[in-house]
Amino acid sequence: MKDSKWTWRSVSLISIAATIILIVGFVSAVGDILNPQGEALSTALPQETAVPTAAAGDSMRILALGDSLAKGTGDNDGSGFVKRTLDGLSADGGSAELLGNMGINGLTTAGLQTKLKEEGVRYALRQANIILVSIGGNDLFRGSEILGNATEGQGAATPGPSPSAAAENQDAASSVHATGTIDGKNSALVTSTPKPGEDELTPESLLAALPDAAKRLGEILQTISEINPQAQIFYVGLYNPFGDIKDLLVPGNQAVTAWNNAAMDIINTHSNMTLVPTFDLFNRHLDKYLSGDHFHPNGDGYQRISERIIQAVR
Amino acid sequence: MTNLLPLIRNECTKIIKKKRFYVILLILLVLVPMFTYAQMRIAERSRDKFNSDWRLEVQQQITDNQNSLGSDRIPEEWKSYRRIFVQQLQFYLDHDVNPNEPSGVTFTREFLDNSVSLFIPLLIMAVASDLVSGERTTGTIKMLLTRPVKRWKVLFSKLVALLMFVSLIVLSVFVISYLISGLAFGYKGFSIPVFTGFQLSGDTVDMTTVHSVPQWKYLLMQGGLIWFVSVVVAVLAFMVSVLVRSTAASIVVMMAALIAGTILTNMAAAWTTAKYLFMVNLGLTGYLAGTPAPIEGMTLSFSMAVLGVWGIAAIIISFAVFTKRDILN
Repeated sequence: MKDSKWTWRSVSLISIAATIILIVGFVSAVGDILNPQGEALSTALPQETAVPTAAAGDSMRILALGDSLAKGTGDNDGSGFVKRTLDGLSADGGSAELLGNMGINGLTTAGLQTKLKEEGVRYALRQANIILVSIGGNDLFRGSEILGNATEGQGAATPGPSPSAAAENQDAASSVHATGTIDGKNSALVTSTPKPGEDELTPESLLAALPDAAKRLGEILQTISEINPQAQIFYVGLYNPFGDIKDLLVPGNQAVTAWNNAAMDIINTHSNMTLVPTFDLFNRHLDKYLSGDHFHPNGDGYQRISERIIQAVR
Repeated sequence: MTNLLPLIRNECTKIIKKKRFYVILLILLVLVPMFTYAQMRIAERSRDKFNSDWRLEVQQQITDNQNSLGSDRIPEEWKSYRRIFVQQLQFYLDHDVNPNEPSGVTFTREFLDNSVSLFIPLLIMAVASDLVSGERTTGTIKMLLTRPVKRWKVLFSKLVALLMFVSLIVLSVFVISYLISGLAFGYKGFSIPVFTGFQLSGDTVDMTTVHSVPQWKYLLMQGGLIWFVSVVVAVLAFMVSVLVRSTAASIVVMMAALIAGTILTNMAAAWTTAKYLFMVNLGLTGYLAGTPAPIEGMTLSFSMAVLGVWGIAAIIISFAVFTKRDILN
């Protein structure tokens, strides 16, 4: 009987105490959610504290940045050129590690510029000593579409990378693929899903976006090298994915060459940058090295790109 | 009034003697180590991949989510969830706060966030579902009701005893998960800041009201919300146990309702009237964490009102039925 008295007392005391605490928590939670008091949060960004690691040792810390090529879209095992480069570099005993792959499908030069303002991306860039950049394909092969997006992004000036824009780009990409593969002759005239404000892929549109996009590329590379002056930047040049469409072969080649030349001009003025050409890897071998979407490389294609990058890194 | 206290004490002793509460503790002691171990493996893996640099990890998480936004095959609701998630991660990153700082306290917080809508209600049911129906199954209800005590007093004492054990269960979930996960992740982490106050409107997150709260206070608020949910679930299970003759049936009814709730929250976005069901509204802690509600138009006050109405209705029905009905068999 004494035992049961003792348990009753402890149970009742603990449960009453617990109930009071929980009610206090409940009241404060309701108050907090219904009337949230915004406070001036100190944006304590991880400033320059992180920089010194860049000088340590000769291990390679790789960071990939850019569009779907950096991400590895089209590669069946998802490796892309980034993982393949990493494997190649660490195959013969070299120490290479991947800090992260910031590749986003459908990213354009304008989108990458916004991303480079994010502290998380800047932080990751500061940690790396090898930075692989792939950008520009989405600007060039979707010329008019992207001009609209770029101005939109600048007008809104949101800190976020506007994922919706990326999603739109993806839509646009698929419709471009559709037009590109339906029929060589009609591709310039017929769009499977016509959208307001979207122009078709024509020889003119390929070249139209070039000057602005090239300027943004220069700014991007400049920004990266300012964020991390110690790192080696490898820019992956463009190839012409529409070489198998008769109408687009010549203008495509011209546009891609013009772009690669523009990139070369920028890169030549910086000692810590290298252009990795890919145009010749794919030219006249599109069926072998492009994936099913006729736009992205397949596994073998990525393998060839990564071999080039490895040669450039060493 | 004088004879209520002994009645409550009697009911508490019955709950203790039935060892239901020990079963609950045992369940926690078995399950929490499993979750802790799983969480530990995840932490280890990401440490290997990202060299324990959480900023790179979070940035990669943001990038991965942004990539999945591009896919046309992902349903729009998931996309808006991910957009919100990305913006919150970005906020943590911009303010240099690790959202997943491994510690026993963080584990407790996340574990409770995940268990509020199913796991904890199940534990509550273990006690609540046989309070009345158990007496009828064993036949002791006749002994109870032939005493010179008013029926509503009998039922009221049972309800009070139940609410006492609800608090004990919520408390012991917190304590056990903290103590066990602390073995793996360390017992520190009460002062880590957690952001709360994300105002969701559609796809975008309004950051103006976001403020940081030390983790201990967050746990306290979370505990309060979980307690409210548990009380409502307890009262509902109590009502079912009054209405149904056998304990097994009473457990099955409540369990079916709860599981239906978790299924509905995953697919109810199209059927908006489902938001008036209590089981869809159990995830109150989501409002604290800033995760989007399962159905458009649900807010904390809405969910609390729905739960409150269900709870009060359950109490009224329980008392009305219990005081009126004939006890046969």
